[in-house]
Amino acid sequence: MIKYYTALLRVNQLFGGRVLSDKDKSATFRAGVHPPQSKSPSKSEQIRVMPAPETVYISLSQHLGKPAVECVAVGETVKAGQKIASADGFISADVFSSVSGKVTAIAERETATGYAKHIVIENDGLNECVEFTPLTDPTPSEIKDRLRESGIVGMGGAGFPTAVKLSPQDKVDTFIINAAECEPYITCDYRIMLDYTEQFVRGAVLLAKAAGLNEVIIAAEDNKTDALEKVDAFIANSSLPVRTVKLKAKYPQGAEKQLIYAVTGRKVPVGKLPSSVGVLVDNVHTALSAYLAVTKGQPLYKRIMTVSGGGIKNPANIWVSGGTTYNKIIEFCGGLSEKETVKMISGGPMMGFAVDSDEISTTKTSSCLLLLTKDEAFTGSPQPCINCGKCAKACPMRLMPMYIDKFALAGDVKNAVKYGALNCIECGSCAYTCPAKRPLVQSIKRAKKRARDLGVK
Amino acid sequence: MNNLTVSASPHITNKSNSTRNIMLDVIIALLIVLLAAVFYFGYHVIINAAVCVGACVGSELLFCLIARKKFDKEGVKQSSIFDLSAVVTGLILALNLPSKTIVKGWDLNIYQKGYDALSTRAVDHIIFSFDTVIICIIGSIFAIMIVKMLFGGIGKNFANPAVTARIFLMLSFGLSVVNTAGVGLAASTGATWLASDKSTGNQSMFLNYFLGNRGTAAVGETCMIALILSYVYLSARKVIDFRLPLIIIGSAAVFSLLFEGFYKGSAAKIFNNMFANILSGGLVFGSVFMATDYSTSPNTFVGQVVFGVGIGLFTMLIRVFTGMPEGMSFAILLMNVATPLIDKYIFPKPFGYVKPEKRKKAKDGKQDGKAEVKA
Repeated sequence: MIKYYTALLRVNQLFGGRVLSDKDKSATFRAGVHPPQSKSPSKSEQIRVMPAPETVYISLSQHLGKPAVECVAVGETVKAGQKIASADGFISADVFSSVSGKVTAIAERETATGYAKHIVIENDGLNECVEFTPLTDPTPSEIKDRLRESGIVGMGGAGFPTAVKLSPQDKVDTFIINAAECEPYITCDYRIMLDYTEQFVRGAVLLAKAAGLNEVIIAAEDNKTDALEKVDAFIANSSLPVRTVKLKAKYPQGAEKQLIYAVTGRKVPVGKLPSSVGVLVDNVHTALSAYLAVTKGQPLYKRIMTVSGGGIKNPANIWVSGGTTYNKIIEFCGGLSEKETVKMISGGPMMGFAVDSDEISTTKTSSCLLLLTKDEAFTGSPQPCINCGKCAKACPMRLMPMYIDKFALAGDVKNAVKYGALNCIECGSCAYTCPAKRPLVQSIKRAKKRARDLGVK
Repeated sequence: MNNLTVSASPHITNKSNSTRNIMLDVIIALLIVLLAAVFYFGYHVIINAAVCVGACVGSELLFCLIARKKFDKEGVKQSSIFDLSAVVTGLILALNLPSKTIVKGWDLNIYQKGYDALSTRAVDHIIFSFDTVIICIIGSIFAIMIVKMLFGGIGKNFANPAVTARIFLMLSFGLSVVNTAGVGLAASTGATWLASDKSTGNQSMFLNYFLGNRGTAAVGETCMIALILSYVYLSARKVIDFRLPLIIIGSAAVFSLLFEGFYKGSAAKIFNNMFANILSGGLVFGSVFMATDYSTSPNTFVGQVVFGVGIGLFTMLIRVFTGMPEGMSFAILLMNVATPLIDKYIFPKPFGYVKPEKRKKAKDGKQDGKAEVKA
């Protein structure tokens, strides 16, 4: 029986399954794609601080859930770190000013994903800060309160309020820090692990403590071995309850469900949250922000961002004040290069949002600004599907994207859902690998929305 | 900053992976087989291939122009001929036909008087076979116009165009085969091993069959070395799933053992026949090039197992229990038609799938509860 089981495991490994109990090998999940890493432009750039611009446009919808409600009026003077909008409801987060100055307007503005109310603040250049109150030796509930008061949200992209995430209804036993950073180009998490090792690890321990857990697992892809070694060295000296896990460099290794499977071997059931299998996952930058919020008292009003791509002169990892417009960031990074930029992307190249204006401002979740040239970005038109099934082979959720695409385009939502439209994590592996270059994610998103509107399950 | 493109994610793509590149890989693999066919059957094969490719590309272009009602440069640019799938169809069709043939009632071939090298009898050699050229053109038009384009072009065809055209030609013209292979070893003439002397196989015969030194109905299916080379190439380039041809050939071997044993008896003959069944006829060629056609094979591995075993089963049923020597093309066509059905019922469970019993119970419980409240 045991022999049979080991044989099965070997077969599982042959077909790209998770590697169990073998320390030398990197854990992973089944399927996925291998896009070029493209991390070299910004990988070796140390994190620098970008000075706050003259005007910041701070969005009130920087997180998942309801937009925050402004608590300052036009004409009022604010300080950096002052709360300017308060959370509206349970799943929402406070918003803080990133500069000191005068509120000049509160208006609708374009964001990367649509429109939202923004607070416009004119920077007076004095850089006055509100007084921060550090916590010493806090209890879990104190940490959670502090996270809520500091407006901390998941900074990997979704922006789910962290305090809510750390109080799950199910019993949890594992806390994972997602340092996979599987998206090409982005290097901000990698740089945080190198440049702010201590703060980041201590922040992770604080987050675990808030959830009532004693151990932290830091999981990173094996292309970040140097960062992992630095973290390991720090852990060895500090005797904190942290261990690291090496993952295979593969996309989408950082997708929550795939990461949990790679690290723990547990499968998150369809339509359920990770806490249903007793796991909590948080991002590297969230841990750093938690550290700053708890031990320094600094709320979340600036973040580290990667600026990369062939279109920018000096790729960089920079501290950006919340609400800085993209054109100011491009200016700070030496402007555009000679190569023509054809796509500007807020976020990574696989899941980010293409934007058409450089007047859009950063939020708590903008991890990357990409300027892609014609060689890098895909701008062609789709061809007919040849039914090759490469999308189904690449799908980490084991769906059938070609059928979802077909049914979505025909308006047949019921069949699109049958082939798994609602389980799609929108990672883009299918469209990346498609020989006919079909926009599969787009039609799956459409099918999802139609299914939700019609109530098809 | 004015010419920014806005589109849905992902914004990068695997540029080396395009429809045309896939077709180019298939063409390279087919050229290996074509080379072997030219080596054994002479220049006739090149003429057939050129005619088939030309007729396939031409009829696809014509269809596109008529369908779009654009008869200018723009129309040609917009047509689907540049994905090279018509070239692949043409090559497969040419490799599925005899090098030269005489159609009953036509006989437009050009002959030259000569002697047979072996028997020193006076025979007429065919120098140029108009019959084959006409058959190539008819087959190409049928494959592209009727089987492929009428159903919506690439990816929408219900059956493999080349297979269907081959069956169409076989049934309509009753091709009398004049294929002679005669290089090195003793030349053999006639249809396939299956038709004539299936049970008389000996070692030199196996070697000849492996090298491809034999007469056959289709020039492409003779040389095992070329076929294995192209199979390895296609598998290494990940154009085809390497498992599907193995499943087909493996299941054909198993069914051959079963049926022949059930039918004929004698143990030595059974194994002999199994190798004969695998090496001869279109089994290997069909399983590498025609059964792996994307649009007419299932998309899941389990589906492909059903598909492959089905092809093996039907091929052997036809070969053993019917009067026809060749069953591969019919088996592929049958399973092509069954593919939508296979894909309808066999599709992967999503990651983290929960067994439906639990859901059903939960649902039933709720419904019962509701019913009680109502009552």
